[in-house]
Amino acid sequence: MGTRIEPGLLYELKKYGAVGVEKCFNCGNCTAICPLTSDNYAFPRNMIRMVQIGNKEQLSQSLDPWLCYYCGDCSATCPREAEPGETMMAARRWLTAQYDWTGLASKFYTSKAWEFGSMILLGLLVVVIVALFSGPMVTEQVELNTFAPIHIVHLADWIMAGILLVFVGGNILKMYLSVMQPGKGPSIPLSVYIFEAWKPIYHGLLQKQWDVCVEEDVDNKELSQERIARITHLLLVSGYGLMLVLIIFFLQWFQTDNIYPFYHPQRWLGYYATVVLLWGAGYALWGRMKKEIQAHRFSHASDWIFPVLLLMVTLTGILQHIFRYLGMPLPTYYTYVLHLAFTAPMLILEVPFGKWAHLYYRPLAIYFQAVKEKAKEYKEAPAGALASAE
Amino acid sequence: MDINKIKADALVVGGGIAGMQSALDLADQGYQVVLVEKDPSIGGKMIQLSKVFPTLDCCSCITTPKMSAVANHANIQTLTYCEVQSIDNADGHFVAQILKKPRYVDEDDCTGCRQCEYVCPIDVPSVFDLNMTARRAIRVPFSTAVPQLAVLDIENCILCGKCARACPADAVDFTQTAYEIELEVDAIVLATGFETTPIDAKKEYGAGNLHNVIDGLMMERLLAPTGPYARVLRPGDGKEPESIAYVQCAGSRDETLGVEYCSRVCCMYAIKQAMLIAGALPMADITLYYMDIRAFGKGYDQFYQNAQAMGIEFVKGKVAKITEDENQNPVVRVELIDEGQVVERTHDMIVLSVGMVPQYNPGSVYSVGVGEYGFIKSPAPNISSTETNRSGIFATGAATAPMDIVDSIASASAAASGAAAHLEAVQGGN
Repeated sequence: MGTRIEPGLLYELKKYGAVGVEKCFNCGNCTAICPLTSDNYAFPRNMIRMVQIGNKEQLSQSLDPWLCYYCGDCSATCPREAEPGETMMAARRWLTAQYDWTGLASKFYTSKAWEFGSMILLGLLVVVIVALFSGPMVTEQVELNTFAPIHIVHLADWIMAGILLVFVGGNILKMYLSVMQPGKGPSIPLSVYIFEAWKPIYHGLLQKQWDVCVEEDVDNKELSQERIARITHLLLVSGYGLMLVLIIFFLQWFQTDNIYPFYHPQRWLGYYATVVLLWGAGYALWGRMKKEIQAHRFSHASDWIFPVLLLMVTLTGILQHIFRYLGMPLPTYYTYVLHLAFTAPMLILEVPFGKWAHLYYRPLAIYFQAVKEKAKEYKEAPAGALASAE
Repeated sequence: MDINKIKADALVVGGGIAGMQSALDLADQGYQVVLVEKDPSIGGKMIQLSKVFPTLDCCSCITTPKMSAVANHANIQTLTYCEVQSIDNADGHFVAQILKKPRYVDEDDCTGCRQCEYVCPIDVPSVFDLNMTARRAIRVPFSTAVPQLAVLDIENCILCGKCARACPADAVDFTQTAYEIELEVDAIVLATGFETTPIDAKKEYGAGNLHNVIDGLMMERLLAPTGPYARVLRPGDGKEPESIAYVQCAGSRDETLGVEYCSRVCCMYAIKQAMLIAGALPMADITLYYMDIRAFGKGYDQFYQNAQAMGIEFVKGKVAKITEDENQNPVVRVELIDEGQVVERTHDMIVLSVGMVPQYNPGSVYSVGVGEYGFIKSPAPNISSTETNRSGIFATGAATAPMDIVDSIASASAAASGAAAHLEAVQGGN
C-alpha cells in the first residue's frame, strides 16, 4: 500500500512551534548523539524526515516524541542548527492535538486568542459559580466552610473529575488506536499488555529513562544543568502527585477552619508540596526567561502557560493559608476564589489539551513501546528457533 | 643608496603555492617582483603534503622545483621571515613597510650545513611536523627549505653558545635585531593562504584530548616521505594501526563552529590519503564516514570510484561523537543513514577531515574587504575573481576561498595576469 504524502505537514508543524526543520540535511548527527537512541528506537532524525517529506500517517502513529526528555544535545551539536529538539517538542504538541477527540487542543496550540480566551473564560466561570452557590461571608472570624460548604466543593470536584475523565479517556483511546493500530497486523496477546503494565506507573512516577540522558550528558559534571532539570522535574512530580492525593482523599484537612499543630501531616506535607511546586514552576519560568539551556531556548505559548498557572495556583494557595492562619476572613475568601479560578483551567484545560498532557502520554508511550517490543520478541522467537534447528 | 629601500613592480604576499605561482608568472613577463613570506622558508602548506589528488604525484617533487625557481629567478627577490606592517599610498605607488625578523644567523654567511643544529641541546615540538616530532632551537626549517639557512628560535634558546662555536662560517649572531624595509611597488598580490579548522574545536570529538585522533594535515605528514616516523603509526602509542577511519566534515558545513561552508578539499584529500594508506598498510581496514562525497573536479569522481574499487569502505552518516576505550582506541558513534540505525564502532585511529579557514585577516594592513567568513572578497567574483575592492591589490588562492592546489594555481595565474594588466596601465608600458 502506498503512503499518502501531505506537503503541508511542515507548515502545520510550524504552527505548533517547529523551527528550522527545513534546514536539516539528514546527516544523522542528532540521532547518533541522542543518549536514548537504541536498536529499538532511533530519533530525532526520523521525525524531521517525516515532517520534511510530509508523512503525516507515520508521524501520527509515532511514539518517539514522547520518549524524549529534551536534554538538548541534538540541537546543541546540530551542524545545521536545525533545532531537532524543537521538532520533537512541536511533534508532541501536534500529537496532543491529533489524539484529542474534541479538536480543542489544536485550537489552543495554534491560536493565542483561543488559548488565553478559554483560560480566562473558565476562570471567570468559576468565579460566577462560586458567587451563585457560595454561602455567606462571615466577617467576625474565618469560616471557610460556611463560605464554601465542603459537600458542595466535593460535588464540584467530582463533576470536574468526571469531565476530565471523559476528555482524557477519549484522548487515551484515540492514542491507543492510532499508535497500536488494533486489527491491523499481528494481534498482540493480552498477557503482554498485563506483563508490561508496571512500566507506565514506574516511569510515570520516577522518569527513570531520563537518567540515561543525564549520564551521557556532553558536559558530564557532578551537577550538570541536565541533572538539575531532572531532579527539579522529579520534585515537581512528587509535589503535585502528593497534592493530588491530599486533595482527593483528605480534602477535609484543607477545606477546613481548624488550625492544625505544626507536626500534623496537613502542615508539613502541604508545606513540602508547596515548596517543590514553587521551585519547579519558578525554575521553568526563570529558565525560559534566561534561555541558558537548550530546552529553554525556544518557548511556545503553551510552555509559558503551564508553569504560570502552576505558580499562580501555588501562590494563591499559600496566601489563602496565611490569611486563614492570621484570621483575616475577607482576604481568605477572595484568595480562595482566586485559587479555584486558577486551579480549574489548570486541570480542565492543561491536562487533556495542554502541556500537562505529557503526564499520561509519556508513560503510556513508554508502555506501548514496551508492548510493541515484547510482541516483536514473541513473533521473532519461533523464527530464531527454526533457524538454529536447521 | 639606503639598503633598506627597495623599488619593484609588484609585491606578492605569501610564499605558498599560489604566491610562488603569481610571482613566477609576473617575473616571467619581465616584472620585478618581491615575494614576502612570514616563515623562514617558502613552500607554504603544500610542501608539508604527501601527494596531490587526483594524479597521486609527489608534492615535494612539484613544490621544490617551484621554490628553487622562485629563489633563483633573476626578477624575484625573496624576503623570508618578513611581515608586511603597513601599506601607504604615495604618488600613486604603494609603499610597504616590511619587518624583517631576526634569524640570529647571518644570511650571507650561513651555508645551511646544519652543524649548529646537530650540537643544539634544546628539543622543542616541531610545528612543521604538527608536534608529532621534535626539532632543535636552532635548525634549518626542513630538509628542502628555501633558502637553506638556519634560524634560531630565541624563545627556547638557552644561549649556551654551542651553535656559535660549531658554526664553520661563524654565522650565528645573537645580537641581531629586527629591522624595517621600505618597499615601493605598483601592484600587490595577496596569497596569504589558509589554516585548518582547529582539531580541538568540537568537544563531541574529544576536544583534541583523544590520543589517536589526528587531523588531515597530520596524516599528510605521516604519509609524506619526509614525515616524522617515515611510516604510518598512531601517535598515541606508536602502534601500527589496523583500522583507520576518516570523519568527514569535521570542521566544515558545521554551524556550531561558524564554518557553514564546504571546504572543498576534504573529501578528495581523505580519499587520496585512504588510497595511500591502502598502499602503506595493505592489511588495514579503511573507512570514510561522510555526509556527501563531493568529487567535483576533473578526474575526481573517477578517483572516488577507484577508491571504492580498492575496498575502502564509504559509510554515509555524520559521526556525532568520538570517545576512547581503555586501550586508547577511538570509538565513533554514528547513525548509518542507509540503515537508519545507530552504531558504535572502534577503530585504531581516526583522522578528522578538518576544513579550511582564512589564516590572516588583511583588513587592517591592506584595507581590502573580506566576506562573511574572513576570506578576501572580490567585488565581482564572476567577472574578475582575483580583484579586491582596492585598485592594484589582487588576491589569490585559499586566501580568497577554500580551494585545492589545482584551483590555487589557476587562481594565482589569474591574479598575476590581473596585476600585469594593472602594471601596464599605471606604468604606461615601460
